[in-house]
Amino acid sequence: MAFQSRKKFCYFKENGITDIDYKDVKLLRRFVNDQGKIMPRRITGSSAKMHRKLVRAIKRSRSIALMPYVERSSD
Amino acid sequence: MRYYETLYIVNPNLENEVLATTMGEIGTELEKTKSKLINHRIWGKKRLAYPIDNQKYGSFILLQFEGGEQDQMNEFHTWMKLNNAVLRHMTVSLDEQPEVYVEEVKEAPVEEAVKEGTSEEDNEVETEEKAVVESVPEETSPETVEEESTDEPKATEQVASEESENNEEPTDESSEEETEEKEAE
Repeated sequence: MAFQSRKKFCYFKENGITDIDYKDVKLLRRFVNDQGKIMPRRITGSSAKMHRKLVRAIKRSRSIALMPYVERSSD
Repeated sequence: MRYYETLYIVNPNLENEVLATTMGEIGTELEKTKSKLINHRIWGKKRLAYPIDNQKYGSFILLQFEGGEQDQMNEFHTWMKLNNAVLRHMTVSLDEQPEVYVEEVKEAPVEEAVKEGTSEEDNEVETEEKAVVESVPEETSPETVEEESTDEPKATEQVASEESENNEEPTDESSEEETEEKEAE
């Protein structure tokens, strides 16, 4: 094999996070791409339960203008 | 009763006195709904992710309370929408009773608690208190500080050596795995 894929793990399970706060923008930024889109579970590796909580937190922080709906890359 | 949290954005150009009066108005309006205020504090002036009413910045104010009557809560939300000083507001129900915010602690410990989850807040507070206790004697006795400073480079060297070992290990494993795969083929 030319390369080996790293084993994915749930960030929240590893760090013992049970609840995600929508005000914690620094954490939520990890799970959003440059455009501000929520990254899929297949890439982040987070568990289904925590991904649901994550999505809710990101959408909440978007509605209160802590995170962008759309972020344009500076070309 | 349920506990709720309202985060609202106020025009950042308001003076401190005006801001205090608007916060007071909002507090009294909320108390009309027979809900009890727990926390009502300024979270900070932040840059908005997107402009609201041509404002790039906004002062965020956090309001935590025990829920009142539902009909009057709806009236409160419409009142908040009509309030010109408030750019945007959002109410969220909380799972647990929020702790009363103490200003002496300042923001840093609160942010750490938020990062590592609400369940571990108590443990963190204890560890922080211990850290404070430990740091006090160091300042009084400079000799101990010097000894610790001499110890620190060793510790870092050990860490560095461990890291180098760790870096070597995966390569060995990968090479072993490659050989295994070749054998399998």
